[in-house]
Amino acid sequence: MKAFACTLCLWLITLNVYADTPALPKGILKITPRPAPALSLQNLDEETFTLDSKTGRWAFVHFWASWCGPCRREMPSIQALSKQSSTLKLDFFIVNTAESEDVVFSFLASVAPDINSLLDRDGLVTEKWQPRGLPSTYLVDPEGNIRYIVLGGQDWHKPEYTRFLGQLGQNRP
Amino acid sequence: MNVNRLRITQRLSRFIFPLLISGFLAVYTMQTSAASPRQKIDNKQLKMSITARSANQMAAFYEGREFPPSAIEATREACFFTVGIRNRLNDTLWHDITTWQILTTDGNIKPLTQADWKKTWQQRGVEQRFQSTFRWTLLPDSRDLRPGEQQGGNITVPRTDKTFSLLATFDTGADRKGKKYKVKFKNLRCLDEPAQ
Repeated sequence: MKAFACTLCLWLITLNVYADTPALPKGILKITPRPAPALSLQNLDEETFTLDSKTGRWAFVHFWASWCGPCRREMPSIQALSKQSSTLKLDFFIVNTAESEDVVFSFLASVAPDINSLLDRDGLVTEKWQPRGLPSTYLVDPEGNIRYIVLGGQDWHKPEYTRFLGQLGQNRP
Repeated sequence: MNVNRLRITQRLSRFIFPLLISGFLAVYTMQTSAASPRQKIDNKQLKMSITARSANQMAAFYEGREFPPSAIEATREACFFTVGIRNRLNDTLWHDITTWQILTTDGNIKPLTQADWKKTWQQRGVEQRFQSTFRWTLLPDSRDLRPGEQQGGNITVPRTDKTFSLLATFDTGADRKGKKYKVKFKNLRCLDEPAQ
C-alpha cells in the first residue's frame, strides 16, 4: 500500500512538472534567449506600433510576403489566432516584408481581411531580425527577449498551438 | 498456307521487334539525356529538387512585384533554378552555395551569391525594397537546417547555353565538422535565351 502511495505521489509530481513545461508543438523551437531587435513600424492606416517590453505581455512577431506560398496558406490561421489576442494575452506584430501598400492591401483583402499588417517598406527591419526564411515567426517574452522561433508556416488555430500560446500568455513558458 | 503465314510472321518478327526496341531505346535515351526542367534526389540524408525557370517566368514574377526595368534586365542575364532542400538527418545539415560547383565542358563556374547581386543592384541604382524582396527569393548563401527542416529558394548562375551539372556539398553537425554529403544533378540547362 505504501509503495502504491509513493508511486502515485511520484506520478502526480511528474504530471505537475510536465503541466508547467508542455511539449512544444511542431515547428516551435526554444532558443537561448536573445534581445529582440527594434521594431517600430506603421500599419496600412499609418498608425505606428512599437515592440515594447513595458507592456508585460508576450509578443507574436510574424514576417511575411504575398509572393510566398506558405505565407498565403498560413495567414488565415494567423487571422483566426489574432482574434483571440485578449484571451491569449499576446500582442501581435504582423510584418510585411518590402512590398507596397497596394500589394499588401489587395492580398490581405482576399486572404485575411481582418489583419492590418505593419509595413517594413524597405525590408531593413526584417533583415535585422534575420529570419530563417519567409514566413517566420518569433515569440518574444515580456522582457523583450526572443525565446522561441517557429520554423515555416503552421496551423495556428490547432489546439496544441493555442494551448501553448495561452500558457505563454499566462507567463508559464 | 498456314506455313507461309508462319514464315511471314517470323520474318516480320525478326525485323519489327528489333526496330521497336531500337525505337524505344532511342526515345528513352533522348529523354534521359535531354535537359530536364525538374530533377530530384531523395535519400536517407536529404531530399532535394531543382527546377529550371525561364527568363520570362522570372521577369514576370519580378515585374509583378513592381521591379524596375533595369532590375528585370539584370535578372535576364542569369539562369534561375528553384531549389528545395529537406533535411532527413537527425542532425544539423548545412548548405553553402559558395562551395557548390557548376560543372560545364568549358570548366567550372560558381553560382552567383547575394553579394554578387548586391553589387549588381548598387551599380544599377535599384531601390532597397526591391533588393530586399529579391534577396528573400534566393536560397540563402549558407544556412543550417534542423532535423526535418526544409528550405527553398532560387539559385542563380551566369547565363550559359551549355548543359551542365551541379555538384552540391553539405556539411553536418552543429559545428559543421560532421560527415560531408554530396549530390550531383546532371543535364541542367538554362530554359531559354534572354529576350532581346
